[in-house]
Amino acid sequence: MLKQFDEVHGGLTRKSSRESGLATPPRSVVGIGGKVAKPDYSEAKIVLAMVGLPARGKSYLSNKLMRYLKWLEYEVKVFNVGQLRRTRAKAKREQSGVQENHSAEYFSHDNKEANQLRDKLAEDCLEMLIQWLKEGGNVGIHDATNSTKERRAMISNRVAREKGIVVIFLESLCDDPAVIAANVALKVSSGDPDYMNMSREEAERDFLERIRKYEKIYETITEPNLTYMKVMNVGSQVTLCNIHGYLQSRIAFYLMNLHVKPRSIFFSRHGESVYNVEGKIGGDAHLSPRGQTYAKALPQLIHDNIGDANLTVWTSTLQRTIETAQNLPFTKLTWKALDELDAGVCDGMTYEEIEAAYPEDFANRDEDKFNYRYRGGESYRDVVVRLEPIIMELERQENILIIGHQAILRCLYAYFHNLPQDDLPYIKIPLHTVIKLTPKAYGCDEERYTLPIAAVDTHRPKPKAAKQPDVVVSTARQYLDPTIA
Amino acid sequence: MVAPLYTTASGLLFHAGKIIVVTVGLPARGKTHISRALERYLRWMGVKTQVISLGDYRRKVLGGTHNVPKDYFTLGEKSPETEALRARVKEGCEDLIWEFFEKGGQVVIYDANNGTVKARNELAEKFDKQGVHVIFLESVLTSDEIVEANIRSVKISSPDYKGTDPEEAVRNYWSRIKDHEKHYEPVVETNWPFIRIINVGEKIMVNNIQGYLQSRIVFFLMNIHNKYRTIYFARSGQSLIEHSYKADSDLSPAGWDYSERLKDFVLERRAKTLESRGLSSDDRRLVIWTSARRRAHHTAWPFLSVSRAQNPLGPSTGPSPTPSPSSSPFLPATNPSASFLSPSMFSLLPASVAPTPPPMPRVKVVEKPQMTEINPGVWDGLSPDEAKVKYPEDWERFLKDPYAFRAPRAESYHDLSVRLEPILIELEREQEDLLIISHASVIRCLLAYLIGLPASEIPAIEIARGDLIEVVPASYGVHSRAFHFWDGPGRRHGGVPASPRVSSSGGSSLTLDGDVEDVEAEDGVQEGEHHANFYENFAEDTKYRVRSAGASGEAGSGTPIVEKADAK
Repeated sequence: MLKQFDEVHGGLTRKSSRESGLATPPRSVVGIGGKVAKPDYSEAKIVLAMVGLPARGKSYLSNKLMRYLKWLEYEVKVFNVGQLRRTRAKAKREQSGVQENHSAEYFSHDNKEANQLRDKLAEDCLEMLIQWLKEGGNVGIHDATNSTKERRAMISNRVAREKGIVVIFLESLCDDPAVIAANVALKVSSGDPDYMNMSREEAERDFLERIRKYEKIYETITEPNLTYMKVMNVGSQVTLCNIHGYLQSRIAFYLMNLHVKPRSIFFSRHGESVYNVEGKIGGDAHLSPRGQTYAKALPQLIHDNIGDANLTVWTSTLQRTIETAQNLPFTKLTWKALDELDAGVCDGMTYEEIEAAYPEDFANRDEDKFNYRYRGGESYRDVVVRLEPIIMELERQENILIIGHQAILRCLYAYFHNLPQDDLPYIKIPLHTVIKLTPKAYGCDEERYTLPIAAVDTHRPKPKAAKQPDVVVSTARQYLDPTIA
Repeated sequence: MVAPLYTTASGLLFHAGKIIVVTVGLPARGKTHISRALERYLRWMGVKTQVISLGDYRRKVLGGTHNVPKDYFTLGEKSPETEALRARVKEGCEDLIWEFFEKGGQVVIYDANNGTVKARNELAEKFDKQGVHVIFLESVLTSDEIVEANIRSVKISSPDYKGTDPEEAVRNYWSRIKDHEKHYEPVVETNWPFIRIINVGEKIMVNNIQGYLQSRIVFFLMNIHNKYRTIYFARSGQSLIEHSYKADSDLSPAGWDYSERLKDFVLERRAKTLESRGLSSDDRRLVIWTSARRRAHHTAWPFLSVSRAQNPLGPSTGPSPTPSPSSSPFLPATNPSASFLSPSMFSLLPASVAPTPPPMPRVKVVEKPQMTEINPGVWDGLSPDEAKVKYPEDWERFLKDPYAFRAPRAESYHDLSVRLEPILIELEREQEDLLIISHASVIRCLLAYLIGLPASEIPAIEIARGDLIEVVPASYGVHSRAFHFWDGPGRRHGGVPASPRVSSSGGSSLTLDGDVEDVEAEDGVQEGEHHANFYENFAEDTKYRVRSAGASGEAGSGTPIVEKADAK
């Protein structure tokens, strides 16, 4: 029916557009969809310089921000001065056998020689960052303590020489001794090469000494001419100064919504639906008998996991998610924004039917699934755009269980694990499985609970790909810069 | 996520409690502009919000400047009578605030100068004691020029200066300000949360802001400005399959004609408006937002292609023109990247394009996927008759509440408003003149926000194809006007003609009780296939219709049909 229409009207479209005097008449609209290019972010060029004593959550904030902005398809890269220092020291050691001393002594303000070296490192790191912005980056994060007015003035003056690039300082403050102690413990036990050959106690003593060296000269931001945000105890208090511009205000709003209370986010797809069994996409079908069994088993699984802790359940407006949630004894909220990716004209068809009717289009979608928009429907990118307010809400909330759909959970999962857009449409989110994500300092811990209730497999691997996208989740901190090593 | 329908038993939202936002600033610092904008946004979110203005209250109680003692506005020594009078006005105003809170209001924006630390502290302590969160909102302007512009555009038209010579009024006002300046103390105390806005959103400082609603307020304030600009709204041209959402069909021949006419008319209208303010369209950019639907995006094409067609250099003159069809096997028009045209191309325009050809502005086209029309779900492609027969129960609910009703798998107008929230922020943020080419349902929601219409009226706002709606944000709200520029097939969706004079498109029309009545088709496009998406436009076609800005008028005249200077 659609095909017939396209054939009849194809000529009409071309004719009418020629009459309108267009230089490049649009192609007539046929088939089931097409690829859509990424929005133009080329005007956004920001240096985000971190400020703060060690163990004050700077890396936590910069990592969160990076994940959020990358998920929205901004080009973001962290330039960590510590990484550069360690990487260079390693290279030096391997070439000449000289071992640089990077104990607390090195970080003393009285150590003239080390001071110069550290200034040089910070400057080199900034140069690399600016170069990267010029090559098409959007947000470069200068991850260092940047603890003196002098150092900040250096950064600010250097960036001012670049047209179209602005600098924002992001200061992370923390006055909660328990949080600082936890950060210190994490630092000395997480494989930092600086503390490679030390006992834990020695390492901790040295790191605390390093902090004291910094504290001596630390100056909190008060310079009225700088653009800055101050975040106290991650999101509990935020001060903004001279913030303007769209992306900057987005960043500020995001930071205002963060918190670090312990909590978990649970994802589950709806139970197997009648459409799943029939191999059809989209629709608003009821659960299959096996799907209903899953819905009955879900409350016990959640209870085993969180005990008496509270939780809020979010579902889409589609029946299969509401039916899956029906036995859960928690507050339930229905979000239109959680509805499955709209397959437009292909809604209700099987993949085989689509392939038979539109073989070329079908291949095109497999080619670039993230960018492919179904005619009259959505692309994965469109879904990411519509889920952005959900992410903001998720950041504010505590324990949440989302009963969702395959494409929706792929997008949300990619946000929490910092997975690239190319891999996003191939993330495995099987039926009858609960995924538990627990946010940690540098990523999320993940556990999966699969209930022994059979279900069809709705995952379609990328055809013809030499290698399946390797969806590896890492929560470990990187101490060396993999791109310069 | 915010939504204009969300309610709780207490009437308070977001666990934010009651909030009083106390404005601080010298006169003519844009406090009222900011207060009104914030009120509009919070109300749209469903938060019960009220601006209470000390100045308005004083005028109501005492009358204009002529009726108050000479020392009323000076901050120095005052006669006991004046002191008593001022205290009485202040108390009366605070009574109004309490009254609003008692009636279930959540946010009061107290619009007054509040220029001294002492006065602020007293006020804050009084409200804090009663469990109301206090936030100071200070507005600072760094240039006298902006202040003077504010005085001229807002203050001298105030009732205080009725019948006064404008220059005299400006002088008088300046002296009132100078007097305040001597005693003004900027907010430096950090014991209360504050937001300081410099040059209406250019810079912002925030202290001790807590919680979601407060951070939303800050985010909103970070994105507003009061620079002069115009927002235009127009529907996309008619498409080949009007009644189907899923088909996402291209423009019909009439739709292409419409897009050409729209381009000419917008450029002409904009040039005229700018000229009347002594501005030139040469040095301003026109930004066009379209939805991701083909007919909407293609309606913007003439803005991009006219000068390119005339210019042999073609794409090389702009940094990023639309791709040529040969460059990609996919649909070229869906590229959302921006396209710029240089103003110098104007000289190559043929004289026939417009009688007095306006200069070709620099144009940027951006595609916004959130601006897709309301999704009719399973009702896609149905006629009202079919929907009524197939879904009788849903149909009843639909008639009862066209704002909140969601057909199976469809979006309600409420869903659509939620989806458009990020667009509202971007709309506030945009400083260039903006043309939004979208769909009736999307334009309704955006317009309702700008004008401040209640949610229940949204589905019935009249948005006719062929009307250009012009909205100019001003201090107390917006000025909106509609211009009727086109009268071709597809002007009306359902068939209710614009006016008896206009021969409109056919289709089916709805009588008052929602029954369907056939109207004879008059245009050239095949009927039957072309009754419009009724789910989107049903309420407008029935007794519920609201005339906000768009309305009927004589075709092609290009004169304003309805002019509405909207207060509040």
